[in-house]
Amino acid sequence: MNSEIPNRDESVESVDRAISARLSKLRSMPVDLTNLEKAIKAQILPPTNQSRWRALALRPLRAIAASVVLVSAIAAAILLSASSGPVLAEAAQMAQVHREIVSGKIPVTQVSSINAANHMLDQEAPGAPSLPQLPDSHVMACCMKSVHNKKMACVLLKDEGVSVTLAVASAADMKLPTAPVQSRNGVEYRVQHIGDLSMVMTERNGKWLCLIGPMPADRLMDMAAQLQF
Amino acid sequence: MRLDQQQQTRRFYDLVWPHRADVLRVARFLSRDPIMADDLAQECMLKAFRGLDKIVAGPGIKAWLLQILRNTWLDRLRASAARPVETSLGDLSDEPATEVSVDTAGTGVWGDPRAVLEAFSDQQVIDAVQGLPEEIRWTLLLVDVEGLSLQETAGVLDVPAGTIKSRSHRGRRMLREKLLPLARELRLVPSETKERSSRMEEI
Repeated sequence: MNSEIPNRDESVESVDRAISARLSKLRSMPVDLTNLEKAIKAQILPPTNQSRWRALALRPLRAIAASVVLVSAIAAAILLSASSGPVLAEAAQMAQVHREIVSGKIPVTQVSSINAANHMLDQEAPGAPSLPQLPDSHVMACCMKSVHNKKMACVLLKDEGVSVTLAVASAADMKLPTAPVQSRNGVEYRVQHIGDLSMVMTERNGKWLCLIGPMPADRLMDMAAQLQF
Repeated sequence: MRLDQQQQTRRFYDLVWPHRADVLRVARFLSRDPIMADDLAQECMLKAFRGLDKIVAGPGIKAWLLQILRNTWLDRLRASAARPVETSLGDLSDEPATEVSVDTAGTGVWGDPRAVLEAFSDQQVIDAVQGLPEEIRWTLLLVDVEGLSLQETAGVLDVPAGTIKSRSHRGRRMLREKLLPLARELRLVPSETKERSSRMEEI
């Protein structure tokens, strides 16, 4: 009779630990931040948008610049799509991909591990670039995207509750942008910022990698360092 | 420390903004209505913006934000004169955590509890959490879901750390009791009749 007591306690402990672990997984559930972010930014302008007068004064110039950029982007897109060599994934384009994945505009498949993501992506697009290994607790969802007809595997990750998109393509298909270079543990990253998003791009083991998220670029580089090929 | 508008804004985007997902997630667990949850999270973030000169940067920011969220939530409950539908904590004594081991949720039938719990969808787990008494739900949300320490949680809920420990145990037991019928329904664990007959065979 007495020997049953520790067994029962052990069994209670084991169920409690499992419940605690299951609850902690809810922390990595994606939450749609679109409405909250929009509402807050409408009331507290992000620091870069503080000088409204200056912004008003520069508006005509910006409009011209925007037109030039748009025309150049269209021309570049036509040129790039016509060629079969490596293409450039522009920062704005990658930021858009990230926002659409996070807000659910792009259909994604919920997964709980990189293996499951690779399996799903392989079924969807055989021969697609495979994703490197990451701790499973980070992995939330995945999907396949194309940039200028080049396949790119995307996976939505959670880092302390913040959504980060990891995009992977063949290094032969993608170009690295002309952007400031930062080195971390011997790996060089091209670092870009767009709005509140940071973006780091690099090439490792024949793969082109891009990590995007609303966090300092240093943290993205730390995440990139955890990838195992 | 008095901050000018620009410093305050910068501080907000540096310290508070990275935790917006945590705030919204907890708000969603509290309110079943996503619009109300968004509104609650928004009010919390704006209050944090106004109170930025009272805090120092550090690991306690998340706990501070969740404390604001809790106060905002309680203010709303009071304002709407709507009491939480769950059992009042007054009806539950803070018995020592060790007594919890005398449980009624048949822990023996869980087999591999991790595998059973993994088989539930997130929504099924959330529904079970939402059915817990208010203070127990807050405790599990802060300790297990958000990963706050006992001390941090005690600070947010304004109770001693020992109370958090016993509420965590009690909460997990209650959750176990809530999830067991569902596990049986989904045939993730043996049914009550099967369990009883196997016990009889053992005797």
